[in-house]
Amino acid sequence: MFELLFKYPQAVFSRGTFVLLGNWPLWVLALAILAAAGGLGLLVWKRASSGRMAGVRSVAVWLLQTLLASVLLLMLWHPALSVATLRPQQNIVAVVVDDSASMAQPDEAGGVTRRAAAVNVLNSGLLNALKDKFQVRLYKLGDHLDRFDKLDQLTSSIPATHIGDGLKQVIADAASLPIGAVVLASDGADNSGGVDLETISEIRRQRIPIHTIGFGQEHAAKDVEISDVQVPARALPDSRLSAIVSFHQNGYAGDKAKLTVKEGGKILAQQMVTLKKDGQEQTETLLFNAGTAGVKSVETSIEPLVGEESTKNNLVTRLVNVDARKPRILYLEGEPRWEFKFLRRAVEEDRTIDLVSILRTTQNKIYRQGIANPDELKDGFPTKVEELFAFDGIIIGSVDAPYLTPGQQTLLKDFVDRRGGGLLFLGGKDALSDGGWKQSADVELLPTILPDRKNTFVRVGATVELTAPGRDSLITRLEEDPAKNVERWLKLPYVMNFQDAGQPKPGAVVLVDAKPTTGGRVPLLITQNFGRGRTAIFATGGSWRWQMLQPLADKSHEMFYQQLLRWLVSDTPRKVTTSTPKPLISDDSHVSLRAEVRDRTYLPASDAKAEAHILGPDGIAESIEMRPDPIESGVYTADWTTPKPGSYLVEVTASRGTEELGRDTMTFRREDGVAENFRIQQDRELLEKLSSETGGRYYTPQDAQKLGKDISYSEAGITVRETRDLWDMPIIFLVLLSLRAGEWLLRRKWGVI
Amino acid sequence: MRLRSLLWLFLGAIAGWRVLWAQKPFKAYVGAEYENFVLPPDWQKPAEWTRARLIYPSFFSVHGIRDGYHRWTIDYPRSDRHLLQGIRRLTRIDTRSVEQVVDLDGEDDVYNWPSLYAVEVGYWNLTDQQATQLREFLLRGGFLMVDDFHGTIEWNNFVAGINKVFPDREIVDLDNKDPIFHVIYDLDDRFQVPGMQYVFTRSLFEYDGFQAKWRGIYDDKGRLMVVICHNMDLGDAWENSDDPRYPEKFASLAYRIAVNYWAYDLTH
Repeated sequence: MFELLFKYPQAVFSRGTFVLLGNWPLWVLALAILAAAGGLGLLVWKRASSGRMAGVRSVAVWLLQTLLASVLLLMLWHPALSVATLRPQQNIVAVVVDDSASMAQPDEAGGVTRRAAAVNVLNSGLLNALKDKFQVRLYKLGDHLDRFDKLDQLTSSIPATHIGDGLKQVIADAASLPIGAVVLASDGADNSGGVDLETISEIRRQRIPIHTIGFGQEHAAKDVEISDVQVPARALPDSRLSAIVSFHQNGYAGDKAKLTVKEGGKILAQQMVTLKKDGQEQTETLLFNAGTAGVKSVETSIEPLVGEESTKNNLVTRLVNVDARKPRILYLEGEPRWEFKFLRRAVEEDRTIDLVSILRTTQNKIYRQGIANPDELKDGFPTKVEELFAFDGIIIGSVDAPYLTPGQQTLLKDFVDRRGGGLLFLGGKDALSDGGWKQSADVELLPTILPDRKNTFVRVGATVELTAPGRDSLITRLEEDPAKNVERWLKLPYVMNFQDAGQPKPGAVVLVDAKPTTGGRVPLLITQNFGRGRTAIFATGGSWRWQMLQPLADKSHEMFYQQLLRWLVSDTPRKVTTSTPKPLISDDSHVSLRAEVRDRTYLPASDAKAEAHILGPDGIAESIEMRPDPIESGVYTADWTTPKPGSYLVEVTASRGTEELGRDTMTFRREDGVAENFRIQQDRELLEKLSSETGGRYYTPQDAQKLGKDISYSEAGITVRETRDLWDMPIIFLVLLSLRAGEWLLRRKWGVI
Repeated sequence: MRLRSLLWLFLGAIAGWRVLWAQKPFKAYVGAEYENFVLPPDWQKPAEWTRARLIYPSFFSVHGIRDGYHRWTIDYPRSDRHLLQGIRRLTRIDTRSVEQVVDLDGEDDVYNWPSLYAVEVGYWNLTDQQATQLREFLLRGGFLMVDDFHGTIEWNNFVAGINKVFPDREIVDLDNKDPIFHVIYDLDDRFQVPGMQYVFTRSLFEYDGFQAKWRGIYDDKGRLMVVICHNMDLGDAWENSDDPRYPEKFASLAYRIAVNYWAYDLTH
């Protein structure tokens, strides 16, 4: 239809530029249009005096006549489109056919596979149409690109699709070959996270249009698929972890499904969920215990439903490195009080945290508990960076700021900012504003803007209530079920004191509010990240009643403090911190390792020697030296090729001369042939985006034959610029006819013919 | 909408009621030795801590003499007030100037006062329900100091009562190395602290309680839950610490013991 009206294919209009081939200058055209409009206006105005043509009617007639005259005048200037076309037989068209396993999916019309449908489209004239004008190179696409000769060599057996990598290879070929266009026949089910901007920019720079033909259903009729599972890469033993499971489904809206988290065959958590609308992304959180130290392979699955088209996309595996370290927390308390006693007792139950405390018992005496040796902290709160930075977290109780020297206050700031430690402030008569922390060097660490006044600590009863973020936080999760958890917090015994900690700063999160009996509501538990670390305020000294006023079997108080303190220290980095951007590598052998190395004072160690020792499946053992990053001081990187799929353990050691700075371990996993089971529907969005970004067009198998004509219009390869006349387009005559007919119809209606 | 508002009002009222009534306010009682004892000027000022005194039912006769005293009120409240002043002066414990009297009445109030003191427990006669509540109190984290009972007969009566609380826990002699003797003061050298009878009779002991016994009951994690001061009268020492006739060395040790015991309570 388009071509019938406009004479040329759509591609000519989208890729061509409008030109006027007439010899007369453009201003003459403008002048002529103005003169025509003026003359016609005069004529119409004179006739309007007859009566029936007065007012709006005369304006309408004048407009129609002026438009008619303008179109006719424009035609005299010879309008045309200038478009680049590929020189016949001098260019190459790359036909890239997806040969990955997902193309074996039999979801095309008539139950044929996507591969068969693609072969059919190419054999039904498209390939011959291309061969008539161009040289055609056939490529098959999987995790890389390979040339092939005949379509029957396609097997749909490659376990991965990396569209971006394949296109990069085509671009590389285009540097030495006159590739004028690319035809990509695929389902768009890419396993490498899509086509990156860099590749698209390079294609655009070379002006190679990519025409895509999409195969496969865009939505499965009956299927549930896990899109993603997020679990922390590291954890402390016995800590509570969350698996955030994202999934979607088609054909089962309103049905129930069972979500399960397993490790080594043992069920860690299970939850029944009601499936949402078709195609809608759904997220559920399952809580589980990290268990003992070691590398855990955590499997998250949705139990297959009756009639599911594919059940291979119902299971996802993630690795969690449960660290054997025992973080140490230093608790400085300014007065013997029940909160101190019961906090210590709560943490004593947690064998993964070491709590060391300094308590001011009298004006000049301190009492130390949990110390490693008789000399530790004998002079009180540390004054040396090495001594303080040996801890992972710090709690400041009812202690007035001047008790710490300015140097110690600065050290405390560095502890959070540079060391990456966690700092918790408790409420108390000498805490926060009442203790002068507003005027201290550490005021910026706090997650709230402290009030300017004193007497912010009041001995008034208050109940507690979770805020919206508190309902989702692992710190405040006392019950697995979110609704029951909210209820349990409401039922907690009152606290008989609380402190006004002020307004939460932007970026801070209030997890718990206190509701005093005197009315109102004040933030009670506030957290925030600061520098490399994190800080929190728990603005009361009265949570001990959660222990004393509840039955012995109730563990609310213990759980709360254990979870709060684990949050405080679980992300505190060591001197050496190892990471990889992709802990799970799908159908790829390349892994990037990164280590951040700090010295004893936690300053970046740029002159260290960092070595990665890698242990893999079947006795793989290799050591590689890491290179210093040229931009980030203290950062070392290495690239390595994994020989085979499986789980890998990496230990990075860093040393400076003979001094070992530290070591850290991490895990990653390579999975082959698994990713292809996911995102099995056609990713039309990706294919359309790829086409539109590169000047190509997306085709369905039904309209793919048009590609034979469209493909000639390209600015890549060897091209010639051609002009296409526009004056003889049928649409022009139709417009002229419509304008004239419109005027006639109006006149007839008004009776002025 | 109106119904919802009423529901919230109702829930709020319940919460407020729960807060206001779960912890009883200070109340002065008539003691065996003191009536209308003058309250300190700051008795209404709330504080972080105070020591509670336990009400318990007592036998009318243990030594064959019927005296009809409420034994739990012995030395009350003068002893309590002096002790709290001492703790305020010698430590950083933010203490109220007046004690709190608590009862094992099956209500929740006792759990608001985890530092508990009982006097003349040689006379106590706990009911099964009281013993059960005292056990729950101690296992949740409460601390009990008992004092001012003397000789074999009173010891046996105390043991009968505490066995109701903990039938399966052993009473042990405290080692000098135990942290309770070192939290604030090093108290390796302790001696018998007599009651006021010493001023009149120069006798350090009462009945056959010739030797001071420093004993206790530990929980499963090695923390003292009950500390037992047998054959001594620390309560009298605090009570009479402002009496020039009562020797300073006894009062001084009594305070140091108390300071260490309550500091231990607040740290373990």
